Amino acid sequence: MSILRDTLERANDGISPAQPLVDGRSLSKSFGSLVALAPLDLAIGAGERVALAGPSGSGKSTLLYILAGLIQPDDGQLFLDSKPVTDLQPGRQLSESVGLIQQQLDLVAQLPVVQNVLAGRLGQWSLWRSLTSLFSARERNSALDALSRLGIADKIDEPTSQLSGGEQQRVAIARLMLQAPKITLADEPVSSLDPARADEILGLLSALATDTGGALIASLHSPDLIQAHFTRVIGLREGVIQFDIPARELTAPVLEALYDLDRDSQN
Amino acid sequence: MSVNRKAIRETVLGRRRITFARASLYGFLALAVVSWVYILAGTDSGLGDLFSGRSWSNASSFLRQLLGLEDGLGGGGRPAFFDLSRWGETGKLAYKTLMMSVLAIGLAGLGVLVTFLPAARNVSNGELGGRPSAGMGTLYHALRLFFAFTRAVPELVWAMVIVFFLSPGILPGAIALGLHNYGIVGKLSAEVVENMDPGPARALRSAGAGNMQMLAYGIIPQAMPQFLTYLLYRWEVVIRTTVVVGFVSAGGLGREFRLSLSFFQYTDVALIILWYLILVVAVDLLSAFLRRLVRVP
Amino acid sequence: MIWTGTPRTKGLARLFEARRLLSLILVGAFVWSLTGVGWKDGILHTGGGDAIKDFSLALFPPELSPGFLRLALAASWQTVVHAVAGITLAIIVGVPLGIIASGSLGNPGRTRLAVAVGVRFLLAFMRSIHELVWAVLFVAAFGLSSMAVVLAIAIPYAGILGRIYSELLNDVPEGPLDGLRSAGASPTEVLFYGRMPMVLTDLLSYSFYRFECAIRAAAIMSFVGIRGLGFEIQLSLSDLMFSEVWTLLLFLFGLVLLVDYWSTRVRRSLGS
Repeated sequence: MSILRDTLERANDGISPAQPLVDGRSLSKSFGSLVALAPLDLAIGAGERVALAGPSGSGKSTLLYILAGLIQPDDGQLFLDSKPVTDLQPGRQLSESVGLIQQQLDLVAQLPVVQNVLAGRLGQWSLWRSLTSLFSARERNSALDALSRLGIADKIDEPTSQLSGGEQQRVAIARLMLQAPKITLADEPVSSLDPARADEILGLLSALATDTGGALIASLHSPDLIQAHFTRVIGLREGVIQFDIPARELTAPVLEALYDLDRDSQN
Repeated sequence: MSVNRKAIRETVLGRRRITFARASLYGFLALAVVSWVYILAGTDSGLGDLFSGRSWSNASSFLRQLLGLEDGLGGGGRPAFFDLSRWGETGKLAYKTLMMSVLAIGLAGLGVLVTFLPAARNVSNGELGGRPSAGMGTLYHALRLFFAFTRAVPELVWAMVIVFFLSPGILPGAIALGLHNYGIVGKLSAEVVENMDPGPARALRSAGAGNMQMLAYGIIPQAMPQFLTYLLYRWEVVIRTTVVVGFVSAGGLGREFRLSLSFFQYTDVALIILWYLILVVAVDLLSAFLRRLVRVP
Repeated sequence: MIWTGTPRTKGLARLFEARRLLSLILVGAFVWSLTGVGWKDGILHTGGGDAIKDFSLALFPPELSPGFLRLALAASWQTVVHAVAGITLAIIVGVPLGIIASGSLGNPGRTRLAVAVGVRFLLAFMRSIHELVWAVLFVAAFGLSSMAVVLAIAIPYAGILGRIYSELLNDVPEGPLDGLRSAGASPTEVLFYGRMPMVLTDLLSYSFYRFECAIRAAAIMSFVGIRGLGFEIQLSLSDLMFSEVWTLLLFLFGLVLLVDYWSTRVRRSLGS
């Protein structure tokens, strides 16, 4: 893994960053009369690890879903890896560019762990392959590899519902590892975890995203975690970007102001 | 304007509004009274019989003949349930009856597997992913109607009709039972899909899954345990109804039951009832065991 | 028994065993059942194929003459009346039996438990025999009459209702009941002030479902000779008047839909 990192670092030296990996222009989204995202611009380059902060309802999830190509914005354009997102076919093309871990994990509880992990390959597999794999797992070794790097190789054949919350989180990450998208998105990946576990999970996610020259965008609240694992932090409130600063410049007052309950919500 | 009317109604009737539920209760009670009056006042109500001495002596004679304590019109001789060879013969029929019940459930299950997905609102209108189309919408309504119709008609009526086309044996009865239970399990399974947490299916989509893959990895595995549980519960009902269907479809215990009754061989009837109870208990136990296997993961 | 081990024992083996075993059993059982069909003797009657065609086409249109429609309506009324009588009797018997079977009536102790278990066995026996079998037995004993049919429906349905009622009463969460107990309520008072109000909606909903089933049950009582939709269907079938059969089937369908719709409206009105 470190050899890969070295290669990438050397490759990036002296080459000016071209198109950002994620290039969003004037993205906006409303649900009925509720404005989830006011028009906003976003540019994220390779190797960046961006934290999205903001109170509930600020539009973090909506933004992530739009970036994942799951929701269409009402207006604006989105380019992923220099391609317009509308050109990316859902399925193989989209899943190669961007992958999402949702807040409630959303693994299929009834399937054994190996099947949930291998689901990351569904974008690449033909229908026949996917169906036969349900009976006898194809590429079982890649699943085993990913799981052992996450420390839960012994759970590979267990029914997913029998794993603990933290273990299930790692299964979701393993799935993402097999999907190997350029851009990794995570919606509140550590909200329900204790600090030690949260630290571990964020470390895994960072490595996953940036070791291959990709990017990580995750929504979370804790300033300590943000500073420890992220390069940049964007604050959202009511669909509007309040600040976009390097992570090390994040201070407690800035974050508090973002979450302030008493602040006027109407401008 | 309507607000005022409502307010007036409330003050006039006191705090209790006439809800639809309350009105229905009164309506049903009225219906019940009318029904009972109609029955009791009818010519062959049977109520008089219930209290007449002759009926009770008929009934007790019937019971005694069932238990082999009395010889009726069917002739005397050794009661069937003391006769080992009769046990064997009736046992073979019970075996066939068991087969009919399994076949019925199997046919119903197959039918549901093929049709329950398009019959789910969220699959057919594309909520779970996939393109909705006018065709899918029509298919959804057609399937739901088909479920409702096959469910509404009792198994025996289906059997009466099917016996017109198929030669006697366990198949016509199995199809009749299968049709009725197909409608029941189909509706329930479609509802399971409709109430399903869309999260896992959505996550699969973002992992790159196409519609078919999403169905295979996300929806079917989630629906399977409930589907199998419903199917196994219905098996318990089906085994009880298999005997009845046999009246018409000439297969298994039912036919023998009807014949023995018409020839007044009541100890045979008792033996058949015994085998019937054995089947019912056996299937109940098997169904419980299999349902536990379904729940294991 | 043999399959219940401690949850984490040999996860791999257990998952494979249960799933594979289940699939094997299910598929194997189905294949076995197929062997019971007399395939080589031909499935269709002679002329069965034509009969299927004739029957299917007879739906368009079904028999709609006013005289026949009046007949169908009268038959429907017969069916409804018997169904209503049967279900009301079943409820009247089923509620007390269900209460006793739930083991919540009276003071806790061995008597209460023994009686509850006894009643449960009684309910199980009542519902293990199909309503038509009860009907056949009653008719053989008492002769054909409306009461025989009503009892034949009421007995198994009381058994089913009683069992469901007792389960509903027992599934009530203990929290509110503890509140009543600490306020000094006796077990019987807990039952009537606590459990029953909480299960009333579910009770109603299930009883309505049983009412729908009772309609079907009353329809098939024609087999023992009572008039109703089933009786007319049998008549029309034997006369090969398939269009009439379809009309009657549609009436039956309509009846069931009506009850279903009524039940949904009631549940909505109760706010569940």
